[in-house]
Amino acid sequence: MADLRDLPLVQASVADSATFGEAVSTLFAAQVPALAILAGERIVGILSEVDVLRAVFPGYLAELRHTAFVEDDPAALDERARAIRDRPVGELSRTVEVLDGDDSETHAAERFLHAGEQALPVVDENGRFLGMLSISALCHARLDRAADEELS
Amino acid sequence: MELAAILIFVMALALIALEWVHRTKVALAGASLMVVIGVLDEDGAIAAIDWSTLGLLAGMMVIVGLTEPTGVFTFLALRVAQLSKGRPIALVFLLALVTGVLSAFLDNLTAILLVVPITLLIADLLRISPIPLVMVEIVASNIGGTATLIGDPPNIMIGTARPELSFIDFIVNLAPVAIVTLLVVTAGLALAFRSRLRVAPERAREVAALDAARDMREARYVGRTLAVLVGTIAAFFLHTLLHLEPAVVALTGATVMLLVAADDVESALERIEWSTLFFFLGLFVMVGGLEERGVIEDVAQRLADVTGGSTTAEALVILWGAAAGSAAVDNIPFTAAMIPVVDSLQGDEFNDALWWSLALGACFGGNATLIAAAANVAGTGILERSGQSISFLRFLAIGAPVTLVSLFIATGYLLLFQL
Repeated sequence: MADLRDLPLVQASVADSATFGEAVSTLFAAQVPALAILAGERIVGILSEVDVLRAVFPGYLAELRHTAFVEDDPAALDERARAIRDRPVGELSRTVEVLDGDDSETHAAERFLHAGEQALPVVDENGRFLGMLSISALCHARLDRAADEELS
Repeated sequence: MELAAILIFVMALALIALEWVHRTKVALAGASLMVVIGVLDEDGAIAAIDWSTLGLLAGMMVIVGLTEPTGVFTFLALRVAQLSKGRPIALVFLLALVTGVLSAFLDNLTAILLVVPITLLIADLLRISPIPLVMVEIVASNIGGTATLIGDPPNIMIGTARPELSFIDFIVNLAPVAIVTLLVVTAGLALAFRSRLRVAPERAREVAALDAARDMREARYVGRTLAVLVGTIAAFFLHTLLHLEPAVVALTGATVMLLVAADDVESALERIEWSTLFFFLGLFVMVGGLEERGVIEDVAQRLADVTGGSTTAEALVILWGAAAGSAAVDNIPFTAAMIPVVDSLQGDEFNDALWWSLALGACFGGNATLIAAAANVAGTGILERSGQSISFLRFLAIGAPVTLVSLFIATGYLLLFQL
């Protein structure tokens, strides 16, 4: 039986001492919706694209539903970006559940549906970080396998 | 059993005030405990629940929840910011006015949830601190909510407990004093905060240039939604003539709103804040337990002894006592406990002055501390989530003088016009 170790896990992580700016650069380069924040080999949290969005733009946006009339204020946005860029990412990460490497794909799919995350960290039996699993990687692998089965 | 009822209720009040556990959990645990140990039986517990209050609250939650996507509340708040043209005193008065009016005709908690987020954006655009503006709005919501039967939870509970008091009665007897208090208090706050609200002319011009109505133009069902909202408020004014209880008006309005403006009933009904409704439910059962065991009767008797049977003394003790109690533990549980006390105090002779005293004390007392009213907790919570915060003491430094001024005005009003 295939487990999560067989899926294309992405090595997207930064140390908790990295700056927020460095973490966002890693996230952008890795092209996954979230990366793991590590203290040594131990996961202390994740930073998702939505977390980045909340940090870069004003906090009250999440409370608003109507902003079509708003125009960008580049000076204010730059000021906010400068204030957040050099903060340690550990301060901005949040804890989430992790998937075990030997979990089934169906279990992973159920967790994605209910955790509201686009990517979750996968760990081995000793809690060491194996990589980030995204929803698209999980589904893409499933579709690929189905196609391979059909051909064979 | 009497002692057990008192202990459970006092412990619940303390836990609600300390906010160690969610208030709904506390109220439900207290209610369950009273039934399980036999303070009151199951039938008594069901009978103690004021279903009209729950219906009124649920109906208004649906109506407001379905009106919010139209963007009309955002439009109103942005428009007043534009009208102020960056003048601090005008900005404070206009925001207080909008918040006060929305509180009176929706309810104060809803008004705060609608107005504070857009205020944070306005403050950001004007490059001023949002804290003075949010404090003005919280204060205005508690005072504006005093003006009507549906404006503040204490009034909703009083209005549904005493059907003799109509929507119009509330407006006639409470709106004038609420308006005067709002003007006086807002003037004081505007003077106190004016130096922190200076706006650069170019920022005011940028805000003035924003297209406030854009969201409304892009929203669906704006016309029909607003028609149902206005129709429901009109029906509140006419509920006595129509022989309909306020809860029926609210639930009918909510049903019409669901029919005309909800694409998906499931998501529309998610707008109902179930934790709030269960909080009320638990409170009603606990107060029912106190009534069942004669505690309420004892308190009313002691109050009558202290005041020597003088209606004037009773009204003033209720006013100031309700304000102090609300400041200490939250005006909703305090009012729930006080309603049967006032009922018992007045005996067979209905005296509306005592009810206005309770409404004024509980609603105005809601401004005293951060925990005194749900609107305060909600408003400061939004501020905190956006990276700003108001400490308990900082809130008290503004809320306590505001409450004292409000109570002096209310005392004068009661003495001159009600007693």
